[in-house]
Amino acid sequence: MSVLDRLQFYLMHFMPYPDVVPGRPQGQWVDIPNTHFDPEKGHKLYKEYLDELVLGDELGYDALVVNEHHSTFYSLMPSCSVIAGALIARTRQARICVFGTPITLTYPHRLAEEYAMLDVMSGGRLECAFPLGTGMEYWVNPLNPTNARERFRESMDVLMQAWTKPGPTRFDGEFYHYKYLNPFPLPYQKPHPKIYVVGSGGEDTVQYAAEKGYGYSQVFTPIAAQLKSFESYRSTAVKHGHTPDSESIIISAIPYVAETEAKAIEEARDHILFYFNNLLRTSDQMNTPPGYMPVDRLRKRLEAGVFQSSEITWEALTSVYRTVLGTPDQVAERIAFWCEQAQSSRIIVHLHTGDMPHWKAVKNITLFAEEVIPRLRRKMSPELKAAE
Amino acid sequence: MTHFQKSDRVVDRVRVQVLETGKGKPLVYFHGAGASGGFDELLPLAEQHRLIVPIHPGFGGSDDDLTINSVLDYVVHYAALFDALKLHEPVDLVGHSLGGWIASLFAIFQGHRVHRLALACPAGLRVPEHPGADLFMIPLEKLPSTLAASPTVLAKMTQGEVTVDIKVARYREMTSLARIIWERSYDPKLDRWLKRVSAPTLILWGEQDKILPVQQARRWADRLESGAEIATFDGVGHLVFLESPDAVKRVAFFLNGGGL
Repeated sequence: MSVLDRLQFYLMHFMPYPDVVPGRPQGQWVDIPNTHFDPEKGHKLYKEYLDELVLGDELGYDALVVNEHHSTFYSLMPSCSVIAGALIARTRQARICVFGTPITLTYPHRLAEEYAMLDVMSGGRLECAFPLGTGMEYWVNPLNPTNARERFRESMDVLMQAWTKPGPTRFDGEFYHYKYLNPFPLPYQKPHPKIYVVGSGGEDTVQYAAEKGYGYSQVFTPIAAQLKSFESYRSTAVKHGHTPDSESIIISAIPYVAETEAKAIEEARDHILFYFNNLLRTSDQMNTPPGYMPVDRLRKRLEAGVFQSSEITWEALTSVYRTVLGTPDQVAERIAFWCEQAQSSRIIVHLHTGDMPHWKAVKNITLFAEEVIPRLRRKMSPELKAAE
Repeated sequence: MTHFQKSDRVVDRVRVQVLETGKGKPLVYFHGAGASGGFDELLPLAEQHRLIVPIHPGFGGSDDDLTINSVLDYVVHYAALFDALKLHEPVDLVGHSLGGWIASLFAIFQGHRVHRLALACPAGLRVPEHPGADLFMIPLEKLPSTLAASPTVLAKMTQGEVTVDIKVARYREMTSLARIIWERSYDPKLDRWLKRVSAPTLILWGEQDKILPVQQARRWADRLESGAEIATFDGVGHLVFLESPDAVKRVAFFLNGGGL
């Protein structure tokens, strides 16, 4: 059975605030003056972005995905759970994916509680992904990057104990001490919602996900690096007695569909470049606070000459990240290729990007659902089609 | 007394490097959060002392100790190192910046080991009206001019290429520093504890210090309560001894019993 037989489409939104502060080569993170936030603009943006995701639910996307970033124009979602709550109230069938609050930035029992609430409120539609959090988060959340990875592991232990061991229980850790760990409510799904771990290339994150049998996703890294991590993930998972399958890995892509390839490029190219050069961009300093990255990994990166603050060109972008701008046939072909390449049947698609206006996002979300998804479904193997 | 002798010691299973030179009563110097530049500016102190410069775990030529996650952990480390160095009589203790913070806590909790105390722009006191700079946020290319006010020192610091090795070494030292001060770069308890220091104390400060403002000197003197002297140096930034041979002389004078 090919991965194409079980494709699931996750519609994700970064919910940016695109009125960036000009003249900042260090990007729009950490110490941007927050007086630049205009609440009326913000109100309009939340409405449009939520409408775009709700449209996804109506059009039959399998899942809607939101995440969390702090103190940045990159994202209007410093609380993943708040947005997820707003989505649950307005959606019926799509899974709601909190991909997600960096667990180290909050008390783990609170995340256990919040996610349980979301799962119960939605009738069991929640999926969770746990990132370490970008380096930028550690400047604005008073938390030490030097032991963040140890804290992450312990936080996950607390969360899993909270969800799976009948409470109240004790937890005596390095970072957290509970005499009564007793979350109420508990998740709707048993034993708990599906869990992924999100990394950006660090071997320890890959190993952790594989060891625990969680799913894995990798962001902000070139495709080639991702595929290496996926290999490592699968072989480690097997060593620990798990059976990774096409649902264990989630990949992501930035597609834009239009009537012709030229139109797609004309409508979307600049917004995608805007995302990379104006929103994602940050400084090495902010991206890599002390202790956040192991020293040998930093050395490799410095020797390779990779810098956070360099401007990215369209050619570079399209050759290392999953971007496709074209007709439904072209977009479907690329997506099928990427899914098979990664052996993943779950793909996150960013159909609003950068400073894209609402109408383009709506067009893209609609065309993707009505033209691209059916083409991909038609690629299912003949046996499965016969069974339908 | 033209150069330091380097030796290694193992303290609580951590290998640390110790620089020594000179003969006489021991003078121990606790350095700040960067140990790659050497300490030749201190050599005049070795004219009348056995000058000992131990390198903190996590810095310079010492190994890392990943179990150290507070400034007090360094105090405990140094109590053990003093025993290993057989420093059984009270020593003169000089601390710069982070080293000044460690030295002040050492003088509180290991006061019997300290004869006289000199603190050069010490870190660690909570002074919200004159807060310190965020060392972690200063980009590498702006670091020299933020640290030093002296043009000659600045010129020396900006010579030469910034290699990958230098960047990695700096990242490693900043990680050791972050381990102990990321969440909070001062200890509110020092306000409460400093009065326990009984050693005569000299406070030195560069008037153009951009890392820790010179206005903090007064707060140190107030909290110490034992009548600490303050000596400030015009045209001098955070790297007090590197920028000012006069500051080094002032310490020598003070340790010899000279004062106001």
